[in-house]
Amino acid sequence: MEGSKSSMRRELKFLFAIWKANLQSAMEYHIAFIAQILGMMLNNAFYFLFWVIFFERFKEIRGWGLNDMFLVFGVTATSFGVTAFLFGNAFSLSDVIAQGRLDYYLSMPRPVLLHAVSARSIPSGMGDIIYGITSYLLSGYFSWGGLGRFVVGVILASTAFAAFLIIAHSLTFWLGNAAALARLLMNAILTFALYPITLFNGPAKFLLFTIVPAALMGSVPASLVRELTWQNLGGLFLGAAVLLGLAIVVFRLGLRRYESGSAIQVEV
Amino acid sequence: MKKYWAIFKTQVVNSLAYPGEIIWRSMAILLFLWVFTFLWRVAFDTSAATTLSGLTLRDTLWYLMLAETIELSRPRFANTIAQSVKDGSIAYLLCKPYDFLLYQLSVNAGDTVFRLVLTFIFGGALIWGMVGAPPSPWGWPLTLIAFAAGWLINFCLTALIGLAAFVVEDVTPFTWIYQKLIFILGGMMIPLDFYPPWLQRISKALPFSYVMYGPARLFVSPDLERFTALLAGQLAWVAALGVLVSIAYRRGLRRLAINGG
Repeated sequence: MEGSKSSMRRELKFLFAIWKANLQSAMEYHIAFIAQILGMMLNNAFYFLFWVIFFERFKEIRGWGLNDMFLVFGVTATSFGVTAFLFGNAFSLSDVIAQGRLDYYLSMPRPVLLHAVSARSIPSGMGDIIYGITSYLLSGYFSWGGLGRFVVGVILASTAFAAFLIIAHSLTFWLGNAAALARLLMNAILTFALYPITLFNGPAKFLLFTIVPAALMGSVPASLVRELTWQNLGGLFLGAAVLLGLAIVVFRLGLRRYESGSAIQVEV
Repeated sequence: MKKYWAIFKTQVVNSLAYPGEIIWRSMAILLFLWVFTFLWRVAFDTSAATTLSGLTLRDTLWYLMLAETIELSRPRFANTIAQSVKDGSIAYLLCKPYDFLLYQLSVNAGDTVFRLVLTFIFGGALIWGMVGAPPSPWGWPLTLIAFAAGWLINFCLTALIGLAAFVVEDVTPFTWIYQKLIFILGGMMIPLDFYPPWLQRISKALPFSYVMYGPARLFVSPDLERFTALLAGQLAWVAALGVLVSIAYRRGLRRLAINGG
């Protein structure tokens, strides 16, 4: 027990060291870093104009109004940003696998998956985080208790999202470079997460809780922020845990099939 | 012109080298249109109307199908130009016996062809299954011409963003914002007809709507008068932006410094 605790502490220390190095590396080009953050905030704001215009015309969609969209955007953008900023390589894991760049991580005495996905940070993720928090604050659902639930919701939604990306990109172990398929699946989860869940019913809703678990990234954490119920919290926790477990299993199974031409190189 | 035609043909063949990639990318349209179908069905139901701002649900979804087709087949080469400026590889293209901008035009036109056809087929099949037959085929040739003119406007705007790499460190944020301008002011996510009148006026005056809204609206309501007005506007924008791209390119070259290689 004590041994696993100290091992966990060691891995966390390692993770923080990588994040620190990533941040320092991004800050090296500080103008580009700031431009990416501001650009992403502006990008999200323009995208959100769609909902402003839509609800100006249609007022309400099956019980969802503009304030609900602010909230769902807040949760989704922040979760996306957290994943991009802290686990940026999860977005390009296919290329890492297909180009034999896993060799570098395999040669290190650290957990391969954790090291591989956290080795790169996408600076624009910080723009998503700032935008997401602002969107939540503007939603009209803000309360101190709600803020705590927002943080919990974002942590679980980011976990679910990162796990989904790992599963999608790990298909490369079986299909060759699955980058295009993984991009399609990522677009799917994001697109569905950013629409009112009340639009979907029957098989479509089932899909959003299972194969493309967009509900875990948008509507469920948003419901948790609105109101703490065991169903919301338990469902989100269970969904994130199952996805994470599945991601680890799929990646490990894939790793057994991994082949490369000894491409050990410095990963920068 | 012969050499640019050869570059175009080579690129068409190149784009088929990875059929899996092009198919997955084209299939993205199914996803977006499926969501749109849910959204707009509910929106029309909520309004309890069969026609909104002159468009039926069927018109709206066919409009969105074409708009998505344009968006997904639109070339995104701003970062390619920017990268070649930053790493100096532009030097290899500059010393070849062709014009850099016309080379980019030929390459990107070649890249567009199969993506356009496949996206149109996938999207068209889905919307046909969901809401019925497409609009009158006699408007299709007119739409194709309007699409080509809109494509040129998009080419000029994307080239301007790429050429901005001569003066700024990173052009990626510009590409994101440009895409969202196309989404919102271009009318990719909602037909501009559903906008408040003041926003319609602004959107229709800008070049983004000539890339997206113009051809997509012509597709669902084809008529000669609409076509000639659209084409005149598109050609005016192509001329103005073409001059701007040419100036930006020449000024950029003056700032270019390549060491070694």
